[in-house]
Amino acid sequence: MRDWFTLNAQVLYWLLVAPFRGVPVRLGPVFEQMVRIGVQAVPMTALTSLSIGITLAMQGAHELTRMGAASFVPDLVAMTILRELGPLLVGVVVIGRSGSAVTAELGTMKVSEEIEALEVMAIDPMRYLVLPRFVAMLVMLPALTVFGNYIGMAGGWAICHFSLDMETASYIRRLVESSHPMDLYSGMVKSVVFAWLIITISCVYGLGVKGGAEGVGRATTNSVVVSILTMLIADACLTAIFFFGES
Amino acid sequence: MSEPVIEVRDLVRKFGDRTVLNGISFTVEKGDTMIIMGGSGCGKSTLLRHIIGSMMPTSGSIKIFGQETTGMTPQELQKLRLRFGMNFQFGALLQSLTVGENVALPLIENSDVDPEIVDLVVKMKLELVGLTGFEHLKPAEISGGMRKRVGLARAVALDPELLFSDEPTSGLDPIMTAVIDQLTLDLTRKLDMTAVVVSHDMTSAFRIGTKMIMLGAGKKQGRIIAMGTPDEIRNSDNPEVQQFINGRPDGPIPLKLAKEDYIDSLIGHPRMNER
Repeated sequence: MRDWFTLNAQVLYWLLVAPFRGVPVRLGPVFEQMVRIGVQAVPMTALTSLSIGITLAMQGAHELTRMGAASFVPDLVAMTILRELGPLLVGVVVIGRSGSAVTAELGTMKVSEEIEALEVMAIDPMRYLVLPRFVAMLVMLPALTVFGNYIGMAGGWAICHFSLDMETASYIRRLVESSHPMDLYSGMVKSVVFAWLIITISCVYGLGVKGGAEGVGRATTNSVVVSILTMLIADACLTAIFFFGES
Repeated sequence: MSEPVIEVRDLVRKFGDRTVLNGISFTVEKGDTMIIMGGSGCGKSTLLRHIIGSMMPTSGSIKIFGQETTGMTPQELQKLRLRFGMNFQFGALLQSLTVGENVALPLIENSDVDPEIVDLVVKMKLELVGLTGFEHLKPAEISGGMRKRVGLARAVALDPELLFSDEPTSGLDPIMTAVIDQLTLDLTRKLDMTAVVVSHDMTSAFRIGTKMIMLGAGKKQGRIIAMGTPDEIRNSDNPEVQQFINGRPDGPIPLKLAKEDYIDSLIGHPRMNER
């Protein structure tokens, strides 16, 4: 826990303070990590979001048709994906793909003395290893979430169009009319918070590895479990703040 | 005589109730090549880790270039570390980078030199350790001995004033050992670099050392049992030193459990404590 606060303080120093003292953030490694965390996760995000969009629409279509309210299916899909499932599922995908990879990579570097070697070469591991991953995650997770939202709604469209005989145009109109900007914004805020939690937790567990290969394995498991739990708790808190306070 | 480069006073380090370093004191003058000897597990690497500041002592003082390193802030320590290079026992190369990038790393991260110059320096340093043409391989694709040599090339990339080497020649063939020794000699004798080398390769130690210390084992764990120039060590009348430098299996240094303890451990004596 203390390690986590230290890591946050140091990363924020390198990100916000150091550039004004003449130590800029290196962009090369940031882009490299963005490709690894973001671009390479596109296919998996697309599949996950598509299937969840389709599933949501099917569930909605089944229930709402019985009540004669089939035209509300797009509302259901849009709201659920924008507010909740988009950020959450993309978060889970990224934890599984990148959070675990970051922990395992940093952990392996730790046990093979690479982190110590960096320190002895007067290279701060926070700046060299953690900072690029941090920035990349904070940019790419929200970006993936926006992308996933689109794909999810396309999945909803597939059901509405082919099963409920809804026109494409009216599906889109329905989406635009029914969703508020707040739906999107709340989802985006969530995904930024998730990104921050995922990457800091993964890095703390990676840098804290003790012992050999076994330690790396244990740290990776712990990092994934803790990331998912923390993300779910944060999700509940944010939902309470955004949608429960007013009523 | 100017100020010593390294000055260690009464260094004590305990892990739990096991005392690994017990009152170590020595100084290294500029241009010296200090050899730290001792059996496996006697605390040589631990001592080195304390001097480079990656471990903090339980008590005692360590001064490098006249600056006290115990209790230094990370920023001060980082500034100091720019002045020395460290060659790790297993190289400790970054697996994700190529050999060339590894050697270039301290240059790129700690200075603003031109990429072309970095390239040139990398080639020169790799030539020093006999690895020209290996720039584009990953550490996983070269042998352990080669990794070690890349580690040495990386350690001297910034032309440090002070070089630490953790068993630079173990696992190398005799010819390569001679090459690395010659390199260390060139750096220290011609460029006046100071070196601290952990080694239990006696041929190499006597070839490059100007000063030696030997750490004890067993009851004398963590103490310096002999200190002096190579000649003084070679002619030492300390039986432990003689046993060590001549590599005799029998002598005052206990390598095996006493007979009673051995039988106890075989039959699983209940009061037998794990070491």
